[in-house]
Parts: sequence; structure tokens; C-alpha cells
Amino acid sequence: MPPVLEKTPAAMGLTIDRQTHTIRLVRDFSAPRAQIFEAWTQPDQVAVWWDPAGLRLAACDIDLRPGGGFKFVSQGHPDMAFSGTYLEIAPPDRLVFEAMGATGRVLLEGSADQTRMAVEIQCRGAEHLEQFLKMGVDIGTAQTLDNLVAYVGASEKA
Amino acid sequence: MEMQTANSDPMGSAFFALSDPTRRAMLARLAQGEATVSELMAPFALSQPTISKHLKVLEKAGLIVGGRDAQRRPRRLAPEALKDISEWIERFRNQWEGRLNNLDAHLAAQRQKEP
Repeated sequence: MPPVLEKTPAAMGLTIDRQTHTIRLVRDFSAPRAQIFEAWTQPDQVAVWWDPAGLRLAACDIDLRPGGGFKFVSQGHPDMAFSGTYLEIAPPDRLVFEAMGATGRVLLEGSADQTRMAVEIQCRGAEHLEQFLKMGVDIGTAQTLDNLVAYVGASEKA
Repeated sequence: MEMQTANSDPMGSAFFALSDPTRRAMLARLAQGEATVSELMAPFALSQPTISKHLKVLEKAGLIVGGRDAQRRPRRLAPEALKDISEWIERFRNQWEGRLNNLDAHLAAQRQKEP
């Protein structure tokens, strides 16, 4: 077995299940589920946090009903809007949508003021997952790969 | 959106190469130092042709070097290829990390506003 390597602590868990072609992000919040559900579904709230750059979205349209559409447009990349269709709206536990050919799920569980949020992005198949990864759509990668990259880093130093 | 074949794009073929657990295990072994085909075969109950096929995929993806025709020639990692992937992954991790940090701050700010 390879040696255990130092890893930077991540507040966010990021895994890829290659069996189900699903990318999964997990993070804990000190907030009730309902508040987080609203943060995902109210345009004036999504506009505040969606852009990783910290800038308010240039446009944020949400038609919150099954079959309704959404479109998030950032200031930095107005040509690369994130858009899709809602499939299931079940506050405060579950929001399911389709975007870029993948199924997205926001799953909220917890009690009172502590919530564990999982964001799942399920691709149609292995090839689609690769395509998704390659296009650079909101994803990270498997622990295995992280470790592998760390091994390479370690072997380069050796 | 146009589909690209794995070979037309080095990053894509690298991800394809990494999608298989046997190949990831082989890379992990090579990360500890170069190895011959028989050394790479040792942990697996796989035939040499199967192992060679995996090695070919890794070579095509530019993840390992060495080998070519001679079976004994040791293989080693091509660190540059993995570095590209590593940087790319970091960008994504940062993107979501940033987004969820924003969400965290937003939730906290909202709660302060509440009576």
C-alpha cells in the first residue's frame, strides 16, 4: 500500500461514483433545511451566492414548478448561463432538476439548525460523465484521483 | 454540443484512462517508482494481454511513458499529464468551494437580519 499522504482539509466532501455516474458534493450548514431550500429556489437569494466569484448574478430567472425552467447568468460569463428545468420540488428536503443533460439533486437532511446538504449530479453514463468532467461543469473528482495526484506530487519530490 | 472522441483531447483521454480501477491501481503502483510489466501484473489476476491493453490506454492518454515494444522496459509515470488534471480539478473544487462559502455567508447574514 502507498504511504498516507498529507491532504489539505476540505470543508466540502467531493466524490465521484463511477458506477452510477454521479458526482456528489456534501457540506454541513448551521441553518435549518427550509432556509437552505429557499436559498436555492428564490431568485433574489440565488443571485447572491451562485457565482463563485462573489458577484451578484446578472440575471436569475426561476419558474419554480415541475417542468418550469431556470436560468442563472453570471456577470463574468454572460455567454455561459446555467439553465435547466425543475423536475421535483419538495421543500424542505429535496429539489431535483435537469441541466446540461444531467440530473441534479439537492438533498437536505438534519434537525433544527443543522443541515447536511448533498448536491448530486447524475450523468447519463460513463461517457457523459467524462464529457461533463472535461467541459468543466461544476465538478470535482474522486478521492482515488486526488490520492493519485498526491502520490505523483510526493514521487516528484523524492 | 459536439461529442469528442477520447483521443482528440488529451484531458478527455486521461479521464477515460482514469475511469478504470485497474488502471488507477497501476498508476498508484507507478507513483512509487518505475515498474516492469510483470511487476505491474503481480497484484492482479489478469492475463498479460489484458494488462498490456490497460498499459496502452494509459500510454495513449499520456499518463505513463516507456515500454513501446520491449516488454521488459519499465514503465514510469508522466507527471506532467497528471499535473494538468490536478490543476483542472483544483479549479472545480475552488469553484464549488467558493459557491458554498457564499451560500454559508448568505445564510448567516439572513439569520442576523431575523428578529
